[in-house]
Amino acid sequence: MEKKATPFLPLEMIIQILLWLPVKSLIRFKSVCKLWFSVISDPNFANSHFLLAQTNSTRIVSISAAPPQIRSIDFEALLNDGSASPNPNLWLPQSYFPLQMKGSCRGFIFLHCSSNNYLWNPSTGFHKQIPLSPIDSRFGAYFHYLYGFGYDQSRDDYLVVLLSYDPAVPAHFKSHLEIFSLTDNTWKKIEDTRIPYRGHYYYYYYPKVGLLFNGAIHWLVTHHGSSVTVIVAFDLMERKLLEISLPYSFVGHHCVSDIGLWVFGEFLSLWAMTDGIVEIWVMKQFTVHYSWTKTHVFPIGAIPYFSPIYSTKNGDIIGTIDGTGLVKYNGQGQMLGHCSYCDDPRGSQVVMYTESLLSLPGDHEQV
Amino acid sequence: MAEEKSQASSSKMLTLKASDGVLFEVELNIAKEMKTVQAYIDDCEDIETIPIPNVLGKHLAIVIEYIKKTNEEYDAEFEKQWNMDDLQLLLLAANYLNISGLQECLCKAIAKRIENKSPEYVRKVFNIENDHSPEEEAKLRKEYKWAFEGVDKD
Repeated sequence: MEKKATPFLPLEMIIQILLWLPVKSLIRFKSVCKLWFSVISDPNFANSHFLLAQTNSTRIVSISAAPPQIRSIDFEALLNDGSASPNPNLWLPQSYFPLQMKGSCRGFIFLHCSSNNYLWNPSTGFHKQIPLSPIDSRFGAYFHYLYGFGYDQSRDDYLVVLLSYDPAVPAHFKSHLEIFSLTDNTWKKIEDTRIPYRGHYYYYYYPKVGLLFNGAIHWLVTHHGSSVTVIVAFDLMERKLLEISLPYSFVGHHCVSDIGLWVFGEFLSLWAMTDGIVEIWVMKQFTVHYSWTKTHVFPIGAIPYFSPIYSTKNGDIIGTIDGTGLVKYNGQGQMLGHCSYCDDPRGSQVVMYTESLLSLPGDHEQV
Repeated sequence: MAEEKSQASSSKMLTLKASDGVLFEVELNIAKEMKTVQAYIDDCEDIETIPIPNVLGKHLAIVIEYIKKTNEEYDAEFEKQWNMDDLQLLLLAANYLNISGLQECLCKAIAKRIENKSPEYVRKVFNIENDHSPEEEAKLRKEYKWAFEGVDKD
């Protein structure tokens, strides 16, 4: 009788290995044994796994219009070897289409469809219906909507935030602020003093999604009375709106063809496109106006519809090209590479996300 | 006098004795990367030979080489040379000797190797017994059918 001497790793080390696995593998390995099932199902494990994935592997999900096609692509792999090895196991019910991705947080993507909203975890396939807001249900396509989706750590709650308004300018313009809390499971109207913000001019053509940064959702908006462009931030913990002015050197740009907000490293950043030249400002100290610093100016040549979305650890800038591909520039504005992930020339919607096994509060049988 | 002593200690050699008796002479600054060894030295300053009872000479040699050469390039190629059994033994060694960079490198490497494998393969690799009942296992395979697609053949 021979007994093969095989190495046997203690549980702590097995867990250290499991933390590096993608969600699909982890779900499959729940069937290895009961102990692995309970480790992988444990919310603490999901949390540690998410935190590790957040700093080590960002993915993008791309949804192209018709026929609807969903792809999930590993960012790093895409840029390093240029090949999109999309995860083919993504699926959403046909009835969800047409849809718009309106935010991403902790592995969940907020989907806005015509008669419902959904929270969707592309890694696990989990999806949960969320009702349309009272204003969205009532005014539908007559109104304009600025959505945002985020997480309130102090209450372990996910929030959908909606700033909406009637674009046909009435005499007494005001916009409405509604929030949906996942734990309350209901929409609430935030009665603020008259909210005078409307979508920025460019929202008309390229509606942008609220940027989640530093526990607040940020939008570029126009102040209705003065027509000044500002950033407005909804703090998810305080549940209050706060206004942030744009850099002095930006104000008065009339030939801007596109602008947007993104997170550059650890900072809130504004980018603007004028005649094929990108300018980037960074807010070195959040909400401190004089800390806006212009950090980059470079031509992007013939790249259409460039939109920065991500910065690497060594300061390279990655942006989407109209939802068909990615392009990477270094700090000096030299193009380091580009690649394509979508065949549809009409482009696709793109959202960055991190794989996660996290469950929504209040839902136990999720993964 | 104190200056001379610190100069001497930076090139001071230490002997590490593996579980199978193999001896390794290493510089102090290399040995200090192993926090377990560092703790040993802190306790007994004059020690010259440190016993490493849990690690075979073969693996201690690999660990020492890693500490000397580690950088982004080296780490990327490092794990390719070893089979699964050795990777696990190296992980045990890195964990016992408390070398954090190596532990992470090995965990990532092992994860990469099992990422696309079947549960049967994984059980064999880690020597794990399947204690799910056939009904439980069938239920999991049905519920998460998508997770079992595209898996490498064993």
